[in-house]
Amino acid sequence: MLSRSAERLYWLARYLERTENIARLVNVHMNLLMDLPKGVEMGWRQLILINASQEEFAQKYTIANERNITRFLLADNTYSGSLISSLSAARENIRTTRELLPDEAWEQVNEMYLFAKKNLDTVSNRRQRVLFLNEILRSCQRFTGLLSGYMSHNHPYRFIRLGRSIERADMTSRILDLASLLLSESRSEEVRQYEAILWMNILKALNALLMYRQQMHSRINGDDVLNFLLQDEDLPSSVGCCISVLLDCINKLPNNDDLPQTLIELQAYVKAIDTRQTTQKQLRGILDNLQNKLGDFHNKVADNWFLSI
Amino acid sequence: MKSIWNNYKTDNAYDELMCSEFQSRSVSHHLCQYLDSLKKEDIDKRKIAAELAIIEMGISFTVYSEEGNIDRAWPFDIIPRTIDAKEWRIIEKGLKQRLTALNLFISDVYGEQAFIKAGKMPAEIITSSKNFRKECIGVKPRHNVWANICGTDLVRDKDGIMYVLEDNLRVPSGVSYMLENRVITKRVFPELLQDIDVLPIDDYPTHLLDMLSSIAPNQTDKCTCAVLTPGIYNSAYFEHAYLAQQIGAQLVEGNDLVVNDDNCVYMRTIKGLEKIDVIYRRIDDDFLDPEVFRPDSTLGVRGLMRAWKAGNVALANAPGAGVADDKVVYAYVPEMIRYYLNEEPILPNVPTYLCSNPDELAYVLEHLAELVVKPANESGGYGMLVGPHATLKEVEEFRKIIQKDPRNYIAQPTLSISTAPTLCKGKLEPRHIDLRPFILQGEKTFVTAGGLTRVALKKGSLVVNSSQGGGSKDTWIINMGGS
Repeated sequence: MLSRSAERLYWLARYLERTENIARLVNVHMNLLMDLPKGVEMGWRQLILINASQEEFAQKYTIANERNITRFLLADNTYSGSLISSLSAARENIRTTRELLPDEAWEQVNEMYLFAKKNLDTVSNRRQRVLFLNEILRSCQRFTGLLSGYMSHNHPYRFIRLGRSIERADMTSRILDLASLLLSESRSEEVRQYEAILWMNILKALNALLMYRQQMHSRINGDDVLNFLLQDEDLPSSVGCCISVLLDCINKLPNNDDLPQTLIELQAYVKAIDTRQTTQKQLRGILDNLQNKLGDFHNKVADNWFLSI
Repeated sequence: MKSIWNNYKTDNAYDELMCSEFQSRSVSHHLCQYLDSLKKEDIDKRKIAAELAIIEMGISFTVYSEEGNIDRAWPFDIIPRTIDAKEWRIIEKGLKQRLTALNLFISDVYGEQAFIKAGKMPAEIITSSKNFRKECIGVKPRHNVWANICGTDLVRDKDGIMYVLEDNLRVPSGVSYMLENRVITKRVFPELLQDIDVLPIDDYPTHLLDMLSSIAPNQTDKCTCAVLTPGIYNSAYFEHAYLAQQIGAQLVEGNDLVVNDDNCVYMRTIKGLEKIDVIYRRIDDDFLDPEVFRPDSTLGVRGLMRAWKAGNVALANAPGAGVADDKVVYAYVPEMIRYYLNEEPILPNVPTYLCSNPDELAYVLEHLAELVVKPANESGGYGMLVGPHATLKEVEEFRKIIQKDPRNYIAQPTLSISTAPTLCKGKLEPRHIDLRPFILQGEKTFVTAGGLTRVALKKGSLVVNSSQGGGSKDTWIINMGGS
């Protein structure tokens, strides 16, 4: 497999995962805001915090309202973290690797891109936005299903899984980071009152609510959700599970050098987190650290396999 | 009901589907009857469905323009062009004959030059050809075949005879559009393809892979093939990616490849360097290897010619094959067929005047306003003069251009090339078309069943090139039954 192709498939998967994550995040947040009473200090600004793009947003918009924030996150093609930018980047990557994928893969992504481009203007309207996001989510799921059902589980597939899992682990840790920020001591009683709803929406944002209920058999509480999303071994969006997938792929790739060792250490790091024994502040530090470690791992993957000219 | 055939005028040219305004040809009878039964809304719906399919399938080509490169959807006309299989079998034979002779000629040019020594062609034609590569002298590609993939342009004149207009032996493109056109037609007219016995075309990738495998230097192992593309900004990038996918080859760019001291070609993979046996290259000779050809080329691979000459890698088409893709050399193809094969040409050439020949030049300059004048080495329909469609000023300007460099120009009578009904604003109108079948030659020779029919979408226009406002149609070779 060409190094160039490995790199493009890896980024294809990252960008598509990012597309799906943004869509779900906006969708869930919209639902959450409908549930919370007026006056609760929770708004659209949180979405900007998750993506760490406060500065970029402030440069372009003066008011952090629903209209501006959804436009920024979904439709702004000058912001590299937006849904449309991620989707365009995914399309460019698959355009140049279509020979490695099942026939329909390129058409899937191309169709989704054309749909998004055509309907970008509708996202300012709430009802239309729901339809838009649902279609994007469905398309992403179709793509994932198509590959898992019809693509040989070969090296190209492994690079796709690598990209997807790194992006996913990163997003899960970002969302947990935000949750712990919201629930830190400085928050008012009023927010705490709605804590369960908040955690439920966190689970929803990672499409993990149902799985949580089956697994935990308990009412929703913060510690359990944190544990579940960090350490559960069967939930695809948990950080622990993502790392297991990474390890599985890396072990089967040629010239993997010391990468398995790096992952085993990362796995141990995540397993050792005890959410009951940490303060919110410590937890935020741990999650921050986790994101850095994932970034280091990405650099190692790039050094090992991608084209460097 | 208003028929979409309303006021269909067959003009002055041979129409592929209609013998007269009211009468369809027997080969297109079923199709015409069916089109007749459709309401205007039905046909509009199908046209829209086809356009949607093209956009979703991402079938595009890139147009170079001053405002940068633009990706355009492939312009497609849903009404197929028909040819009787009986006629096609003769054309197919003619195409095989022609490519066989051309390959013998190229081998000869880089070998003993017997054709020239026998006085069949002046030596200057070769020595002055831009596409003659002295670096190729003495090389012997497998099966003695240099042009493994050929796209031959055919046109039908008023007399109903199919003429060969040119042989594209460098990096002919269009075959992916031929294949995709059929995919779209199957979506748009499924009921028709069931009732009419149209020869299938989707075995092309299989034959392409067979051909590429047959030219691999080492015939014992499984061969590794790659399609070498100049990259995403090339107008035919879609096709390069499509073909690589269809034959399971790696799609590579120049900097994915490296030639080592052992004169073998390797690609940079996740495992390290991996050897390549066959390269289907879609880069012009000029850019192929900066060590031998243009030193400023960033698209090619340094050392590729060394590896090829050492017999460690096969290149399709072989470097230098373009020497026979020259409109002056074209004029000699009938003579080549007689000389190398001892046969009469099955497919005629369009009568061609060589401006390098003083008598013929005089005739050309005298009859400029009636002739089509083409540069010998350009492709894509650039830099030509269509006399009857040009202004007096354009004709006079071209006269000077020819006089400056007569070797580089040829002239042909303006053919009244055939037409086919084409959907224009909900109505059928005749538009001029040509046909580009694709011929593969390695150990065996294969011809596509039909080819890419290109159509000049502008009324009266004779220019079918996609870069200049042309479109395309599906081509149906129809088995009419009987012997």
